[in-house]
Amino acid sequence: MNEAMLAPDSTRPSDRASGEIRLVDVTKSFAPGSYAVKDINLTIPDGSYCCLLGPSGCGKTTILRMIAGHETPTSGEITIGGQSVVGLPPVRRGTAMMFQSYALFPHLSVLDNVAFYLKMRGVGKDERRRQARAMLERVQLDHLRDRVPAQLSGGQQQRVALARSLITNPRVLLLDEPLSALDEFLRLRMRGELKSLQAELGITFVHVTHTQPEAIALADLVVVMDTGQIDQAAPASTIFNQPTTPYVARFMGGQNVLTGKVEGQSGELLRMRTAEGWTFEMPAGQSPPAPGTTASAAIRRDRVTLRKRDAEGAVPANAVPGVVEATEYQGSYIKVTLNTGMVHAFVANVGDAAYAAEPVVAGDAVLASWLPADVHVLTKPDLGDAGVPYLDISH
Amino acid sequence: MTSKRSLTPYLQVTPLALVLLVFFIVPIALVLIVSFFRYQMLVGLTPDFTFDNYLDVLTNPTTWRLYFSTVKFTLIVLALTFVIGFWIAYFLVFHIRNLLVSIGLFLVCTVPFWTSNIIRMISWRPILGKEGLINQALLDSGVVAHPLTWLLYSDFSVVIAYVHLNTMFMIVPIFNSMARIDRALLEVAVDAGATRWEAVWNIVLPLSKTGIALGALFVVTLVMGDFFVVSVMSGGLSGSATTGMFNDLQFLNYPRAAANAVILLIVVLLIAAGIFRLVDVRKELVR
Repeated sequence: MNEAMLAPDSTRPSDRASGEIRLVDVTKSFAPGSYAVKDINLTIPDGSYCCLLGPSGCGKTTILRMIAGHETPTSGEITIGGQSVVGLPPVRRGTAMMFQSYALFPHLSVLDNVAFYLKMRGVGKDERRRQARAMLERVQLDHLRDRVPAQLSGGQQQRVALARSLITNPRVLLLDEPLSALDEFLRLRMRGELKSLQAELGITFVHVTHTQPEAIALADLVVVMDTGQIDQAAPASTIFNQPTTPYVARFMGGQNVLTGKVEGQSGELLRMRTAEGWTFEMPAGQSPPAPGTTASAAIRRDRVTLRKRDAEGAVPANAVPGVVEATEYQGSYIKVTLNTGMVHAFVANVGDAAYAAEPVVAGDAVLASWLPADVHVLTKPDLGDAGVPYLDISH
Repeated sequence: MTSKRSLTPYLQVTPLALVLLVFFIVPIALVLIVSFFRYQMLVGLTPDFTFDNYLDVLTNPTTWRLYFSTVKFTLIVLALTFVIGFWIAYFLVFHIRNLLVSIGLFLVCTVPFWTSNIIRMISWRPILGKEGLINQALLDSGVVAHPLTWLLYSDFSVVIAYVHLNTMFMIVPIFNSMARIDRALLEVAVDAGATRWEAVWNIVLPLSKTGIALGALFVVTLVMGDFFVVSVMSGGLSGSATTGMFNDLQFLNYPRAAANAVILLIVVLLIAAGIFRLVDVRKELVR
């Protein structure tokens, strides 16, 4: 759309300041001896959409607030566009924050809400109202400019909050759970709007969420967090297909985690044996774990094939036996949960055609098998204490 | 069955309606009726319908002087209690992070209310009096050669006492309004680059408006209706609108006192209506 409409004034430089965010060894502690986040190292490229993903209390909002300047790191360095911002007030960082539940001023009209950032920057009344109206036209809310926030729907409030944060033309927009206050239908719609807005503006978006599909759908860079630390920061497809830790594999859903002892390597394939005596193979990858050590591997749920199993025969390689615990219809596939005797349930997402060919019901004894190519080794063994998935999204 | 059901809501409001009727409407109606009676010295009251009492009150220069004095005190006290109450509430709500400490300090504010009004007023005498703490300190340090006489039994001491007695009524509703302000709004202000003053002016003050209006209503009604504080603290040198009524009652001139009361009631109602026009207090009360 019209770029010029966004500009707060004509003096805005044509080349926008870089919105690259760098966190170096950032630690934040609210009380001595306990850390909200610890030793965070993260680079968010300029103009990217980054999602900080993790369960409540994992420190993702703390990171966002430190970038915004609403918290000061206990130690470490934060730079935006190459310039250190630690100790600077938010207004001098070129960032704007959109708060959870939007925090619109209940006593001000929509127009004055949007104009507020300009008012605090000393822009005259007529000028800031003119710019605020242009901004409201952009988010298609100009007809509601005289209303107060209480008279708006959730989606409209969200757009007002967006307009308010964007009016100063920030190089970084920080969004704290921006979609969590919306119902499912609106959430999907606003998700799309956020993504296209970011693409259009080309500025850096940092978005905090605890919902996996949201992060996967939006982000160029997904940062999965667990209790104050980053487990993996990578593009969504990498996070989803090649999680590095059992925590990420479980948290993102879509993966089964198996743990066993490494037996050895034959060619490209690494062999592993579980405590139950099942063996499986997988591509060894760049730095395979040494033989004799305990390691974990992840298997994609949708690559698992189920077969009914009648005889108590030997279990072949690359398979686990189990009893169907539950089946759940998901439209294009059926989620089948197996009890294999392991701590975590084993889940197979069977395509609807495959399921129709050989349906299984709860109580059936089955054999779940897969190809070695669909397995990959995790960098950390699953010791059972890795974070339990907060939301088990069965995709 | 249907008639019974339609009676239910009326039965439900009956107890409260009765209380209001007996303790509020009947006394006011009596005052209103008596204000039209005729009063004759040594004879007493004769039922009548005369405006003489009102004329008498309104044409009396003393009435105007007392009303002027009362309104003056009200405005001064309103301004002082607002400034003090607003900042105390602001401090308690936004600067004390610990809720327990905040509640504790709030209770400390109520400590003066643990004793009677009279004690609280009399306790000013050893402080403000001719041989009081302040004058002794000033004399001993050589700042003044003669004790300050305007400290006690003056408009100054009246205002001091009023502020002391009434600031709490300003703190409570403002505290209540402020406690409902979403802290995130202040963070938005910081994000926008607002200074603390700008945040207070643009966000805290407008969102505390209903609390301020309620507090103002309390202070106005309390000061306008006061008779005791002003006579004690001014040593009888100043009076309030109610002082006129008190004097009439001493002469058993109930009709004129009643007329005066009706006039005071109308004045206070007008002020209240003005406050309600400025701020929708009801919004706060039903929230």
